[in-house]
Amino acid sequence: MSIIGSIPSSAFNTLSANPLEAVQKTKMAAPMPDGVRLAQPTESFGSMLDGLVTNVSGKQTQANAITQQVLLGENDQLHQSVIAMQEASVAFSLMVEVRNKLVESYQELMRMQV
Amino acid sequence: MNLISGVDITSGALTAQKIRLDIVAQNIANAQTTRTPEGGPYQRKIISFENELVKRAGGASLETVNVASITNDKSPGQAVYNPQHPDAGPDGTVMMPNVNLAFEMVDLITASRAYEANLSVVKNARTLAMKALEIGK
Repeated sequence: MSIIGSIPSSAFNTLSANPLEAVQKTKMAAPMPDGVRLAQPTESFGSMLDGLVTNVSGKQTQANAITQQVLLGENDQLHQSVIAMQEASVAFSLMVEVRNKLVESYQELMRMQV
Repeated sequence: MNLISGVDITSGALTAQKIRLDIVAQNIANAQTTRTPEGGPYQRKIISFENELVKRAGGASLETVNVASITNDKSPGQAVYNPQHPDAGPDGTVMMPNVNLAFEMVDLITASRAYEANLSVVKNARTLAMKALEIGK
């Protein structure tokens, strides 16, 4: 947990946000045929991913804080600490799963016959 | 956002059962205590629970458990004849606490089994969440 907790969230942010923004800027360049419209997203995908990473990082910080309280003897609710760690673990797994799906779809696109 | 469903409900129940275990520990520890700040022997403590509504975002609100009160057991303790005891009365009897070790052991078993049951709920909820992440693999 300390290894995961020591990674600053800014490291994730720079990784996730920039390539997606670049993709969104270039996608409108090609002229569209009549009747075909691109759906205008209300929220950019980058910011959604950014929110997800922030959420996961927050859960890890919270788990860290509760565990530290238990270890320092300020709190005797051992189960809360373990439950917080489990939540952080599940949230992290979810984030990794989303990332895997993204990479998978990118690779699927790259394999497309031209 | 709560990824492991219902875990805050179970967390409240775990806290309540933990307090119950603490009360049992206090009762057993004070089974021979004949002097208290309030005067008289130690009185056995009884715990009672109440439910509490937990509002959850995007789901039905559920009820968790809270400790309602910790009260004294009013039943009288045993009077033991022991004139050498510093707390003995003029007739040489000492009022002992109304703690019955058999009752406390039963309470201890019930509390620890309830704690284990709640722990299995947490474990199961986590397994379900991890299984859901495996969709499409």
